[in-house]
Amino acid sequence: MRVDIQSLGTFNQLAHEGATQATESLSQLTGIDAVVDITKITLMSRADVGEELGDDEFVGVQFDFDGALQGQTVLVFESGSVGTLIEALVPGGADGEMARSGVAEIGNIMMSGFIDGWADYLEATIDHSPPQYIERTGADVLPEPPANEEDEQIFVFKSSIEWVGESVSFYIYMLPEYDPLAGLMSELGDPGQDAIPVDKLEVFNDMTTQGTEKAAQNVEMMTGIETTAEVTQISFAAIEDVPKQIGTETYVGTVVEFTGTPSGYLMVLFDEVSARNVADALMPTDAEGTELTEAHKSAIEELGNIMTSGFVDGWANVLQTSVEHTPPELVHDMGRAIVDPLAAQVGQHQEHAFIIESTMKTDEIEFQSEIHALPNEAELRAALEALDVDRADETEADAEQLFK
Amino acid sequence: MPEVLIADDSEFMRNLLREILEEDHTIVGEVENGVEAVEVYKEQAPDLVMMDIVMPIRDGIEATDDIKSSNPDANVIMCTSVGQEEKMKEAVRAGADGYITKPFQKPSVIEAIEDVVPS
Repeated sequence: MRVDIQSLGTFNQLAHEGATQATESLSQLTGIDAVVDITKITLMSRADVGEELGDDEFVGVQFDFDGALQGQTVLVFESGSVGTLIEALVPGGADGEMARSGVAEIGNIMMSGFIDGWADYLEATIDHSPPQYIERTGADVLPEPPANEEDEQIFVFKSSIEWVGESVSFYIYMLPEYDPLAGLMSELGDPGQDAIPVDKLEVFNDMTTQGTEKAAQNVEMMTGIETTAEVTQISFAAIEDVPKQIGTETYVGTVVEFTGTPSGYLMVLFDEVSARNVADALMPTDAEGTELTEAHKSAIEELGNIMTSGFVDGWANVLQTSVEHTPPELVHDMGRAIVDPLAAQVGQHQEHAFIIESTMKTDEIEFQSEIHALPNEAELRAALEALDVDRADETEADAEQLFK
Repeated sequence: MPEVLIADDSEFMRNLLREILEEDHTIVGEVENGVEAVEVYKEQAPDLVMMDIVMPIRDGIEATDDIKSSNPDANVIMCTSVGQEEKMKEAVRAGADGYITKPFQKPSVIEAIEDVVPS
């Protein structure tokens, strides 16, 4: 099954317009000034959907939808914002059942706006069930994956909405059933030159998972800190939304440009505490103070270099090609400032971008790392074309064999 | 003791290699790119070069090719984070005698050196 980039762009735009419509409904109902921060399509394992919600408490609504598309949608508000929402909706406030009913109705109106745009574009009907009120923690707000389908990869449409002037976010998730969605994207698109084989994109995502596991092993071998690979996903977003993939907090890490099939940019990023912790673990002696020393920076550069190789080598070995990368450049800045110039470079040739993202962490110390790859779209397509799925697990090369 | 030249753009990695090797080897130089590696090799003619691949100015494969062209008996072990088969084949074609993938432990480095420059 093949999907052209234009179709992916159109579907992403539909989700963005749906989120904008939902946000306008919210503003009309409550007077709250909110804007859509980012919308993206992500291919990921069902079990990983919602990981980014962390351990925060949410309230919201869930719907099933059926018709031209089938699946589920979820709209959630951070629970701390609910009082303000209800106060805006029912001046004087409401408790208990009335408050829940108010949230459900806000959700109902917002999500109807979200879904209607899809139905109009598809010139078909999409029905949705009555809203089910939910009050849950983190990823539990999302529907349970069907039994034995936790590892199945699905396309997820995610929008985050920011409440202007408040550090409060709302999230919309749309989880369409894979086959009808892929079928629609394939039908509506032009299977010509810029079409990508979706099934191979899944295989590529699996290869990336193996690359993340290799990078995590490398961290563990260098630092002695037990490290586990977490989420791996491929997202598709408008170029202007790419910098928003990364948080506004300050990161330390490395950036490399890689060339070959595919080519692009790769960032290995740590939050400042993690950077200091991992650099300390690499040093033979304890350093004084809390600032990163030159020795720490050199250690982080080398760690970034080794993690980068662990991540991209699997692609090269499966594709039987080589992916070169530049020496790592140390970066220490706000996340979006790091990715901005890279998105601008990639954006010279394309309007949308695939973003390959992985995270890894450890329970031993405060440590979390993110890897973000920003491949050139045309070369990623060439890589997918060249991908022999039967070789997908041949990510490792044996130097001893070659140097016998 | 065998003389070793370390070529790696990472100060951290040069320090690590020096700590592993200095007990049983004489470190004749530490350089940060392929151009310096070739220059120092020609000046010092060490018994072994531990050569990174991804380095600025000139990479380790080109530098190995140069060193091996000037002295086919030179001993060069690639010591790199790159674990790609095609890159390993390039290293073989350039004349490299061994290949260690980072991150490494001391025994694997000593073993690789022993294979190339037996004590």
